[in-house]
This record gives sequence, C-alpha cells and structure tokens, in this order.
Amino acid sequence: MTIFRFALKRVFGNTTNLIFLTIFPIACIFLPKGEGWPFLPYGYQYFGILILFIGIRLATIILEDRGKGVVKRLAVAPVSHFQYLSQNLLAYSVILILQCAIVVYGGILFGQELYQPSRLFLLFVSFCFASLAIALAWISFYRRKDTSFLLYMSLIFLIVVLGGLIIPIEIFPDLLKRIAVIFPTYWLAEGLNWIVFGENILDFLLINSVLWLYTIVCIIIGSTRKIY
Amino acid sequence: MRVLSTVKFTVLRMARNYIVLLLLLVIPIILITIFSFILSESVTETGVPYHYQNALTMVLVFQLFAGAIVMYLIDHDLFKENRMRIYTLPFNQRMYAFSIMICGAGYSILLGVLLMIYTQFVLGIIWANWAWMIYIISLMAILSIIVCLIFTFSVKKYKIAERLSELYGVGFVVLAGLFFPMPENIFFDFFGTYGNPLTLSIMSINEMGQSNTGKAWFQANILLVAIVLLFIVMLNLGRRRKL
Repeated sequence: MTIFRFALKRVFGNTTNLIFLTIFPIACIFLPKGEGWPFLPYGYQYFGILILFIGIRLATIILEDRGKGVVKRLAVAPVSHFQYLSQNLLAYSVILILQCAIVVYGGILFGQELYQPSRLFLLFVSFCFASLAIALAWISFYRRKDTSFLLYMSLIFLIVVLGGLIIPIEIFPDLLKRIAVIFPTYWLAEGLNWIVFGENILDFLLINSVLWLYTIVCIIIGSTRKIY
Repeated sequence: MRVLSTVKFTVLRMARNYIVLLLLLVIPIILITIFSFILSESVTETGVPYHYQNALTMVLVFQLFAGAIVMYLIDHDLFKENRMRIYTLPFNQRMYAFSIMICGAGYSILLGVLLMIYTQFVLGIIWANWAWMIYIISLMAILSIIVCLIFTFSVKKYKIAERLSELYGVGFVVLAGLFFPMPENIFFDFFGTYGNPLTLSIMSINEMGQSNTGKAWFQANILLVAIVLLFIVMLNLGRRRKL
C-alpha cells in the first residue's frame, strides 16, 4: 500500500487541493434552505457540482504522472499498472467518501433537515465514484492538464444545467427533459428528490445502480495504460 | 510610438488562444441558447421575458473573466519567459503593457458584442440601447482586467494570482445571488447591490431600459470611479513589482 500512502500525501501537499478538499465542503453545510425549490438546502443540491470538480482535480494527478514520465518509470519497476491505478483510485475515493461523511453528518450536527441522512450519504458516495470514473475517462483523451481541466470545467457547467441540478427539470421543454436522462447529474437530482419524497426503495436502488453503471463503463475506458 | 508595431502580434496571440475563445465565446453561446430554450415561456414580474434578463446577465458575467488573457500575456512577456527579450527591445515597456491592456479590453468587448449580435439575431432578444450596453460592457471588461493585473502584481506566484482572479469572477456571481439567495445583513446587502460590479451594471442597464437616465449614469459612474481608483493602485503596484 505504498502507492496509496503517497497518493494521500501528494493530495494534501498541494494548497489549492487542500482548500478544495476542506473549506468548500464545510461551506456547503452552512448554505441556506431554498424557498420551494430545491427541497434540500442549497449546499446539498450543489455538493454534486463540487464532487465533479474534486473528481477532476484528483484525476489530474494521474495525468501529471503521465506527463512527467512517472508512469514510464513505474512500467519498469516491479509494480503492475493495476496496483498503481487501484491504489491511486482507492486513495481518491477515501478522500471523497470522507468529504461526503463530513457534509452529511456535519449537516445533521448543524441542524439541517436532511430527511434520510444515511441514504443521502449512500447517494453521494455513488455519485463520487461516478464522478471519479468520468474524470478518469476524460483525462485519458488528453496530454496537457490545463486543457483537460478547462474543457472539463465547461462540460461541468453544461451537464449541471442540463441534468437539472441548478434549474428544476420540470420546467424544461419535453425534448430536453428526455435528453437529460443521459447525464449523471440527472440521476443525482432524481436521487435528491427521492431522499425528500421517495417511498419505494427500488427506485433508490435503480438510481444508485445507474450511477454505478457510469462508474464501471468509465473506469473501463479510463484504465488503459498510456505511456508517452 | 514603436509600440504600435507590436499591436498586430498581440492581437494575433489573443485571437489564437483558442481556450480563451472557447471559455468566453462558445460556452456562453451554448449556455445562453440552452437557458433561452428552458426559460422561453416565463415572464418576470415587470413583464420582461425571463430569457432577456438571463441573456443580459450571461453577457455581463463572462466579462468578469475578461482579464485572464491579459494577465497571462503580461506575466509571460514582462515577468517570465520573454522578460529579457522584451526589455532589450527599444521601446517603452510601460507603453507595451498598456497596449496589451487596451488590446485585451478591445478583444473582450468584441466578444461581448458578438454575443449580443448572436442573441439578437438567433434568439430574438431585442437589446433596447446598444450604445449603453456596449459602454457598460467596456467598463466591466476594463475593471476586470485591472483587478486581474492587481492580483498578478501583488502575488508572487502566478498560479495563485490565477486562482484569485477566478475567485473574483465566481465570487461576485455568488454574491450577486445568482446561485442561491444570500443571507440578509449589511455586508451581503452591500455586496449584492452597490458593492458588486455585476449587479451595478445589470441595474444600470435595466434603469436605462426604463429610461431613468440619471440613475443609470449614477450606477455607471460608480464603476468608473472604481476603475480610476484601482488603476492608480495598479500603477503603483506594477512599478514596484520585482521578480
């Protein structure tokens, strides 16, 4: 687990990452409650956006490794690519899960009304994995980290709007309503609605399994070894 | 005026930076289009179609990020890679910096006008007063360029200055209450109205639309005063900036 340990150290060694990973999630807890919509407090509605950003920031570290030739050196070292990738991803997912725990259970301590906190936590964890996998798939198309980050940022704006996280999906025209199903953010928004109104546990399982489907497909795309 | 001969290349460098073009032109076009599809039927309390207000906000929001390219060029030419070359050239370096600023302002005003043309002809939004709109867009562009340069001069690491400039853009969007309503106290009230360039310019354009000329000029002049004050700060910081 050496790679795992060093991946954790690297993430926390960077000041910008530290701000992203600590201050923003904590700020999410204190955002106010909306009138009418969204049904959960704003911080929880927008935490999904934050997860997407954190996902790409963490995955960029792998891209940096490729650029600096670390992957090349690892290829001749007695470490398999599977070990490298899995331990890095494990470190990132540990960080993301911790954040979800902070946001959800910190919210309870602060006194936000979260309806079903443990299921909300599960939903966020599923979305974390999806976001991490999508970011991993995304960086496999790029060589320069700035380009990939900026393009992904613009992509985030689009899928967040089209998925119905910022604007309620009910007011969309029919065509956009149907297209929205493609985006993972749509399923997060559905999940958040389920947390407030849902009764049938099967719906919740469906939402989570769609997110896991994204995770599996994107990890398969992103896990190929690339040596430049 | 030997600097004039460099202007051509500054413009070329700006126009060829396709990431800036993507972030400041393509993304807003896509966002405005999507929003206008979504909001096409709703109308605000004053009877203005909602997507008019939205397009106006979008055009102005992206002016908050106008300073990025100027920041990059100034840092690249006067402090980093090209520093030695630029300082050996027989022209006034201060004028060169100004020329970059003016080109950057012109460039982002041009992008803003392109957005306005697109929204008018494709989405059918009617801009009542083009001249006033362009004036406000230029004020916003110049202000954000000056703020970005202040960050570049006052912070040692360029990366941090870049983050700060993003924070300036996103921060004022959040403070304007576009994402979620701000809590009500004196601080947030001030930064949601007269302390915020974004809301100032939106209010000013709306006042002009209702032909309250006096109020519109007042709000635009606040921006102008901010520009003048920050410009003096920027000059002082830039002169003292060492490597």
